[in-house]
Amino acid sequence: MKKHNYSLIIGLILTGIILIITIIGQFWTPYDITGMNSMAKNQAPSLMHLMGTDNFGRDVFSRVMNGCGTTFFVAVSTVVIGCVFGTIIGALTGFYGGLLDEIVMRINDVLLSFPSVLLVLIFISFIGTGKYKIIVALGVMFIPSFARIVRSEVIRYKSQEFVRSAQVMGAGNLRIIFVHILPNTVVSMLTAAAIGFNNAVLAEASMSYLGLGVQPPDPSLGRMLSEAQAYIFTAPWYAIWPGVVIVLIILGFSQISEGLRAISD
Amino acid sequence: MDKELLKIENLTIGFPTKNGIHTVVDHVNLEVGKGEIVGIVGESGSGKSMTSLAVMGLLSEEAQVSEGSIRLNGQELLGMSREERRKIQGKNMSMIFQEPMTSLNPVMKIGAQVGESLKLHTDLDKETIRGRVIEALASVGLRNPELLVDQYPHEISGGMRQRVMIAMAIINHPDLIIADEPTTALDVTVQAQILNLLKKIHKDTGSSILFISHDLNVIKEVCQKVVVMYKGVIVERGDAKEVLKHPKHEYTRKLVASMPDQVQKVQNTKKLLEVQNLNVYYKENKKLFSSKDKRKHIIHDMSFDLYEGEILGVVGESGCGKSTLAKTIVGLNREYDGKLEMDHLKPQMVFQDPFSSLNPARKIGWILEEPLKLKGIKDKKQRKEMVDQMLTEIGLDSSFANRYARELSGGQRQRISIGLSLMRGEKLIIADEPVSALDVTVQSQILRLLLKLHDEKNLTYMFISHDLNVVHHMCHRVIVMYLGRIVEMADVDELYDHPCHPYTRMLFDSILTDEEKETTDSVTVNEILPDEAAGEGGCPFYGRCRYAGENCLREVPTLTDIGTPGHPHLVRCERIEYGEKYTAAD
Repeated sequence: MKKHNYSLIIGLILTGIILIITIIGQFWTPYDITGMNSMAKNQAPSLMHLMGTDNFGRDVFSRVMNGCGTTFFVAVSTVVIGCVFGTIIGALTGFYGGLLDEIVMRINDVLLSFPSVLLVLIFISFIGTGKYKIIVALGVMFIPSFARIVRSEVIRYKSQEFVRSAQVMGAGNLRIIFVHILPNTVVSMLTAAAIGFNNAVLAEASMSYLGLGVQPPDPSLGRMLSEAQAYIFTAPWYAIWPGVVIVLIILGFSQISEGLRAISD
Repeated sequence: MDKELLKIENLTIGFPTKNGIHTVVDHVNLEVGKGEIVGIVGESGSGKSMTSLAVMGLLSEEAQVSEGSIRLNGQELLGMSREERRKIQGKNMSMIFQEPMTSLNPVMKIGAQVGESLKLHTDLDKETIRGRVIEALASVGLRNPELLVDQYPHEISGGMRQRVMIAMAIINHPDLIIADEPTTALDVTVQAQILNLLKKIHKDTGSSILFISHDLNVIKEVCQKVVVMYKGVIVERGDAKEVLKHPKHEYTRKLVASMPDQVQKVQNTKKLLEVQNLNVYYKENKKLFSSKDKRKHIIHDMSFDLYEGEILGVVGESGCGKSTLAKTIVGLNREYDGKLEMDHLKPQMVFQDPFSSLNPARKIGWILEEPLKLKGIKDKKQRKEMVDQMLTEIGLDSSFANRYARELSGGQRQRISIGLSLMRGEKLIIADEPVSALDVTVQSQILRLLLKLHDEKNLTYMFISHDLNVVHHMCHRVIVMYLGRIVEMADVDELYDHPCHPYTRMLFDSILTDEEKETTDSVTVNEILPDEAAGEGGCPFYGRCRYAGENCLREVPTLTDIGTPGHPHLVRCERIEYGEKYTAAD
């Protein structure tokens, strides 16, 4: 008896809609995203401006459409960096074990025991601010958690007989790790990536909110939240809509990861 | 028998699927008389376990009993409320499960677990219960029951756990004991002890036993009556010995005849593998804060040759080092010294567990292609053709290339495993218990396939098994191992006709032979014997040997040849050195 995987379906639909709007937003928006209009400051949502306008009279909906792109770009790049390096480190330490594994994993423990935002702040104080630097800083912070997941998966599989079998037929260690074992970890990696993506969206928003990430006048969801702070009572829509979109993105991805976990079980 | 204890009528059990009800037990009728032992035999999926679970009321939620009745002492069990059933279970009937490792609660002391049913069904006080528990533990042949009651399951061996399970089942003197494959997970020697114990309990208490097994020899040994189940239907029933001697139904005949014909002896003197003074160690993982390297000595001073075209059997209980030997030969274990010489070969291996030996993330075609890629065959089309050809040779077809291992049955997977070991075109194959995870009928198919490939491709096998019947039929020559040493080695007929080492004889005594030994009154309950070697430096078998004498503790006996020229028969026993040759079993 097959049960429908509602989590996955809902997650995919939600994420799909936001993704389509975001992609459109990169090429076309109802209004110019940086175009100021002193005649239309802090207007409430209307048919003209679906999400209202901000303190410079810019259309919030247009800025959200475009700003989602920045958020996605930062989040995806971060997850990719964390995933690739985390996989390599986790796979090697998990497979070989021994002293190297002990050392790398203790470093990992240390990194994981600090709040990641704090570490990113320290990192940024060395390399500086900006969209690409934020990506690097966040990506590096994501490596330990991925490494940990891959390592435990590799340890689980390395004692199975199909690995023995590959050794007997003459496969080298690297081939065994990357060609034989890693494909088995795909599902749990996808789950972890979906969770990681959520964390990255939030981290980007908080970095931009602190003014360390995306720089004005480029829109990003976190940036907009930070700017809206001053007008939270006069123009609440300015803060609410970017916040709602962040919530929807996170909701979509956590549903996807939930669904993926159901598959892997 | 004059009175029916258990009467099953028209029992039909099914599972709902997308295409309607899938029937797993189909109008089964079965009676167990008072004091009878009735066997149900069949392979997995035959419905034998479903039937027993229905009797115990342990069917899963999805299972639907659409028809029939189950009566115990005339009382209908089906449709009984949970409360009423609870009163019967553990009091009037009890069950012995297959897996002694998981059937006991790991966090509960043995005494509490065994006494549980007394606590639930009687109003005896604590002290009396403890006394009864100790009595029950003693009656199943466990030593020091007073100490055992305060131990946890993980502190005792598998065989002892199975005895504890049996003690649990008999403590309340039930009318009916259901034993579901009670010995399948155990070593041969332990299996024989447990079966003897069950027979003794039956004799002493007069409980009826419903005995479920896939092993005909076990059934023949224990049961008076037998029913044969196949795909949910009873295909044959009757007196156990009669049915198994003169099977009428085609399926029973297939079950009885599932041993392949014995192989012809090959005469060949070309050595494929030469092992001399091989010592193998197991290195314990190095930890960050421990400086010392720990090595465990697994295989001691082993020497033997393997000739081209030969099938060499290696037998022994689990833990005797036979799997370690296999791993060392194929190069999975480098912690060894001594000579291990092969004739430019890269021996391949067939693994025991067909469920973990194939990569779950890859398709069969990819898995079979891998050895070819590693061998350096670049042409993709050529590789595909070779894979297709191999699939045909192992009795499958090219459509299997596009499937995942999880879509295949155990037998099909083991065929793939065998094919995989042959892909490189190597001639020496090490098969580590290749059929012990499979059903009997599937076993015989796989053994036939191995023999067919052996003849067609002129292969050489080292065949590791704990099943002495299989080894007898498959092998030319046999090595018997005990605690990492060869204790006896001879041609298969010589060894089976004249087993000399006390350990070999003990193994053979525990086989349930084809010739029916009349069930004598001398049913003994063997003590559980320590697995550890006795004295330092003495004969490793000392502690379990019934011939042991003082001389045996002096040093490890050497291997002595007592065979005829050209047919060596090596035995490692002090007694042999003193000129005493045992004759065939008493």
